[in-house]
Formats: sequence, structure tokens, C-alpha cells
Amino acid sequence: MKTQRLRVDWPSCQARGLCYELLPEVIELDDWGFPVVTGEVTPELVSAARSAVQGCPRMALRLVK
Amino acid sequence: MTARVLGPIGVDVERGPALLSAIDAGPSLAAHRSRHGEPGRPQLTPLLADLERVGLRGRGGAGFPFGRKLEATAEASGRPYVVVNLSEGEPASCKDAALALTAPHLVLDGAVVAARVLGSREVHLVVPGTDLQVRAAIETALRERPDERIGFVVHRADEAFVAGQATAVIELMAGRPNKPVTSWQPAAVRGHRGRPTLLSNGETFAQLAILVLHGVDAYLAHGTPEEPGTALLTIHDDLGRRVVEVPFGTKWEAVLAQDGVDRPVLLGGYHGTWADAGELRDLTVSRAGLGAVDLTLGAGVVLVPDGCPLTFATSITSYLAGESAGRCGPCRNGLPELARALERVTSGIAGLAETERLCGLVERRGACAHPDGTARMVRSVLTRFHGEVERHARGGCSYRRDRIGRSA
Repeated sequence: MKTQRLRVDWPSCQARGLCYELLPEVIELDDWGFPVVTGEVTPELVSAARSAVQGCPRMALRLVK
Repeated sequence: MTARVLGPIGVDVERGPALLSAIDAGPSLAAHRSRHGEPGRPQLTPLLADLERVGLRGRGGAGFPFGRKLEATAEASGRPYVVVNLSEGEPASCKDAALALTAPHLVLDGAVVAARVLGSREVHLVVPGTDLQVRAAIETALRERPDERIGFVVHRADEAFVAGQATAVIELMAGRPNKPVTSWQPAAVRGHRGRPTLLSNGETFAQLAILVLHGVDAYLAHGTPEEPGTALLTIHDDLGRRVVEVPFGTKWEAVLAQDGVDRPVLLGGYHGTWADAGELRDLTVSRAGLGAVDLTLGAGVVLVPDGCPLTFATSITSYLAGESAGRCGPCRNGLPELARALERVTSGIAGLAETERLCGLVERRGACAHPDGTARMVRSVLTRFHGEVERHARGGCSYRRDRIGRSA
């Protein structure tokens, strides 16, 4: 299994911060509360990443290969 | 050398070797045919080989290989659309307006060739919403053309810097606000109405037309072996504002007003990169040659400001911050902060580290490249004019009288 990447749908994102709560391993928040993706999603993080994708109230996060 | 003056803004268009070779005869279809002939019906495979041979790249700024885009569109499933982007959202760019007013049939021939090759039944033309001249020129040209069994649709873009961005154009065509959205697939695969869409800038289609109308050998006669052909530039310097067509490999000395190369130059427009005074003396109009020293040709806008590059860059950054579509948080919040930080640097209050930090905070964090382009321009002015930054920090400026001011 290869690493996957997180992509943010920026016009949809409203800085709710759920992704950071659910996936602090690769997501930080910037000055304004918007996500900063700090790394790739390794196989062991995939299930947490899926939770973050599903947990985003704006559906603004995607996991892409 | 003849010049045609465009409209109220007074931009000179100079006759050139290929795209602008027939401007003296006027924009009519008859004049166009007598100079360029008929494009015929090229087949996809040989056309792709020709495009590969001449290395045609998109002229909208990003410089993506046009043949690859055409091939991707042809390979995707569904009947493709062709979109000619003449919206030219950057105020400093006038080359697409120049083409529309002086050689509209060259652009239309390119679009028709692409449509025939792809089996498209519709060509969409995106014109500036406020520049009535461009729209009128395109509509006049369309009325002149015989029925080609291709439907032409004209769309009017918003007067906004990001309105011409590819996804914003697709949105406009769908009847939604003319603003960028996240692209999960390239337009070539999934564009207008979910179908493959060949979307390129006006000059790109004109270059395609020149290639098909006159053949590969004629195309290779201009430029260099590495970079055949010509490029349209919109130049703003002491000689005024003008659109010129120059072969790749032309020395910048020959392009700019006499002392232009000895002054700071912003290459590639507001999203471009700064060349230090004298840096262009040994360089030519070349994507590769400029790229090797971290400079970009972008969409061919060349600005030689009369004054301090740091002050000019600050004005541009404030303008670009105001041109954020406001949809993406990092751009909406970050660009105004970046503009304020650069303003502090220019005023000598400090903030250099903060400016660089903010550049990093907006890059690659938006639906379009507006934050990236803005950060690129800011980073380049700080890198190229490091000494000037330090002088400003001490309350000075090498350019005693800045006629541009900060009104932009």
C-alpha cells in the first residue's frame, strides 16, 4: 500500500478545524484556523485520515492517490 | 515598422514576423485569407507530431505543452468542446486584445482546426466583459465566416484578475459565478458539462493556426532550434505601451527601450518575477534561458517601472490582495496580510521574515494559482533587491523620485 495525499477543497473549507482534531499527525492549523497539510498519509494513518475526511462538516477534504 | 493603436488605452501594436504579419491589411477575413490561405483539415497524429516538433506551449502563463493537452482531450471519452480564452484578466496584458483587433481570424482558424481535429461541434470564446472593442471585433469576425458546421458561443468574463483562470472560465460557461473552483481533474478530461474541454489562451490558438496554415518549416524559420517560433509580449516602458511579436532568442536589448535592460524589470506580469538592473543584458526572450535563472516569461507582460521596484511590487501586491475572489481562506486572509507585511518592509519598519513566512502560508493553498503567483512576485522582489530592502530598512531608497507612487 502506497502513501496517499490529502487535498483540501479550499472554496468549501470554512476553518471548522475538525480535520485537525481527528488527524493532528499530518494537519496543523494556520493563523486563521485553516488546515496546513504537513505530510503524506502513510498506510497506518489511512483509517484516521478517512475519519477526518468523513468528519469534515463542509466535505472539504479528500484523500487522493 | 508600422503600428496600430488600440482603443482608449492607447496600446501600439507593431507588425511582427508571423502572428502579426498581416495587420496592415486590416482584420477582415479576405485580408486574412490572402496572407495566410486556408487551414485545411489536419489529422490528429501528424498534427501532434508537428506540435511536438515545434514545442508549442500554452501562452496563458503556465506554459503547458499544447500537444499534450490536445492529446489528452482527444483521448478522453465524450465529444470535446474547444474554448478560446481571450478574457485577459491581467490589466497589464493586452496581447489577446491585440490579436482580437488585428488578427481575429488567426485565432478563429486555430480554434476551428482544433475543433475539426477533435470532432467538436462547439467553439466557445471567452471575451472581456468590459472591453467592448474585443467583443465587437470577435463578433464581427464571426459574422464574416462561412458556415463551418461549428457553433460559436461568446461568453463575457468578469473584470477580475482571476476571471480567466481555467476553472473560473468553466464556471462562467456553466452560468455560475466567474470564479475559480477546485479542479479534481484537468478540463481536458472533465471540463464544460463534464466533457473533455480544450481550453487555451487566444495566442495559443493563433500559434496553432500559424503552424497549420504555413507548415512546420515556416514555423521553424523563426526563433532558435531549441525554441522555435515567436512570442507576443505586452511591454510597458519609456517607449509607452505596446504589443510586439518577437522570435524566441531575441536579445532583450533589442526588445526594450534603450536603457531598459539596465533597470529593474518585472517579467511575466503581476504574477511574474523581477530581473535586477543589468540582468537582462546577457539574456534573451527564452523560457528555458530565463527559467535557468529563476525568471519567468509568464504570459509575456514586461514592465519596466519608472521608480523603485520595491515600492512598485508593494502596490501590485495590494492590488492582487484586493483581487482575491475571497473564496479560499488562505488567500482571502493571507494576501491582505502579505500586502501589509510588504508595505512594512518597504516603509523600513521591518517585517522581512514575516513577509517570507506569509508567502509560505499562501502557496499551494487555493483553488487557483493566484496566491502562488502573488508569493512568487513578492519572493522575487525580496531576493533580487535585497540591498534595496536593507536601504529601505535604514529609511532610504535608491530611487529618489518615485513617479509611480502607491496609488495602484
